[in-house]
Amino acid sequence: MTPVVETLSAVVEPVETLSAVVEPVEAQGFREAQSPHAQPQSPGGQAQSQAPRGVLNLVIGERNGRSIASRQFHQGALRVLRPHYLDDSGQVCYVVVNPGGAYLGADLYVLDVELEAGANLLLTTQSATKVYRTPGSFAEQRMTVNLAENARLELLPDQLIAYREASYRQNTHITMTPTSSLVMAEVVTPGWSPDGASFRYEELRLRTEIRVDTGNSAELLALDNVLIRPPSADVTGLGFMEGCSHLGSLLVVDPRVDQELADCLHQLSAGHDVYAGISLTRTVAGATGLALRALSNSTGELNHLLGACTAHLRNRWYGQQPLNLRKY
Amino acid sequence: MISTDSITGGPGSITGASSSYQLALQQLTDSALPTGAFAHSLGFEGYIERGLIHDEATFGTWLSAFVAQQLTYSDALAIRFFYEGLPLAQLDSQLSAQLLPRQVREASIKMGTRLLEIGQEVFPSPALELYRDLVTAGRAAGHQPLAFAVVARSLGVPLPEALAAYLFAAVTSLTQNAVRAIPLGQNAGQRLLRKAADAVAAAVEEVQHLAPDDFGAISPGLEISQMRHERQRARMFMS
Repeated sequence: MTPVVETLSAVVEPVETLSAVVEPVEAQGFREAQSPHAQPQSPGGQAQSQAPRGVLNLVIGERNGRSIASRQFHQGALRVLRPHYLDDSGQVCYVVVNPGGAYLGADLYVLDVELEAGANLLLTTQSATKVYRTPGSFAEQRMTVNLAENARLELLPDQLIAYREASYRQNTHITMTPTSSLVMAEVVTPGWSPDGASFRYEELRLRTEIRVDTGNSAELLALDNVLIRPPSADVTGLGFMEGCSHLGSLLVVDPRVDQELADCLHQLSAGHDVYAGISLTRTVAGATGLALRALSNSTGELNHLLGACTAHLRNRWYGQQPLNLRKY
Repeated sequence: MISTDSITGGPGSITGASSSYQLALQQLTDSALPTGAFAHSLGFEGYIERGLIHDEATFGTWLSAFVAQQLTYSDALAIRFFYEGLPLAQLDSQLSAQLLPRQVREASIKMGTRLLEIGQEVFPSPALELYRDLVTAGRAAGHQPLAFAVVARSLGVPLPEALAAYLFAAVTSLTQNAVRAIPLGQNAGQRLLRKAADAVAAAVEEVQHLAPDDFGAISPGLEISQMRHERQRARMFMS
């Protein structure tokens, strides 16, 4: 398919520079062959017709206990920093960078991440995702993730900030096997406007579908649909944000998820200044998920809680230290 | 299609063709229908424990939010999708995946399973048989809104009426439960229902305008309360 990149990125470490060089050669062919999102189509019906503003494809494989990119491609306003190994677990860490610094109206970002059997990836962002004014349109991110047998993904982006008159749609489609492991966390802030008021954005849609490949089909395990539309209704009151400004979510799918783990994370949440709930999802082909939802008045408090949860899972399942990305 | 065969022998013979389903719909939505709705608060019990629901007005606020959000975006939208011909197994799976709080998911399945049994006894139809077969084969869980939608459509109930009936039955059960749990006077319960009727009418209108991607949109506060109920110490309700 793209033998040039495969060979080179496996051998040479600074993939960052490389992919920029290879880009023009493979751009067309790779996208058509690889990206299910190549033809712009939105499940919501309103298709973004223009070419994506940023594209990132990443395939991670496992070689002798160490995870490495076996293929990667980026185009436009998305790229990754050179990979890091934060400990000796073999887990590779990629940091997604949006050089433009912000999502604007009608911007479309498309990410495809594939983990081959046994691959282990920590995927994060360099900074918060900021969505600015998107008059008459919306910014959109579509992410497709495939996890093969025993593959493990920690998907831990920085918080999302939507500013005044911003509309943003994030669609994340994850397909995994019953032996794959997924941990994903996200924080949504209320944004701000020049007059200091919060919740001045138009609409935020964060929709995540997690499917488990049962051998015959990919059965839906969890559908997490966060839709916040401040202009259409009071989102601050009882039932919705309940007087809080920030929303945090954690989704974990792993063969080791059980009620005892849910209880354990609930105990953890009690030590934080958050209002949180935890529950187990349905079970598909032996795989069960865990969902944590939390409200708070600060990004810091939610990041502490979500950090404590991911740290607990890293230690419990892999003997790894808590994450310290030293981004700030 | 499916609707014609069940009308003939059913309540149609009593009430005439124009509203042949009226009595059937009343039976289905009567709070005495033994689906076990009396055992579920669907999250409001947590608000009582926190002192946020304590009287008629505060319960009314919760009920309005519950109708406008969860009932509209999950239950009502699933019913609409079924009427529009989306595959039952797919909708059933989406509900199982979307109802993240375990107790609420289990409540929907428990009451749905009962409704499938009752439906089979009193309003049998090929469509209902099909749903029961899917559940028996483990290919569907059997959710309450879908079980209701299958029976209602087989009786020839138009979508707006089916939606209004389903939603009003849900708020009636919840209000009766609140009257017992808070507790409230019987008249307060009736005033709440009168107000809830407006919320139901608005929801029936709203659900017609929702897009496929809107399905299952959550309300964080409602959902967290439903999740936390699992660990609530003293409780009257199963959800």
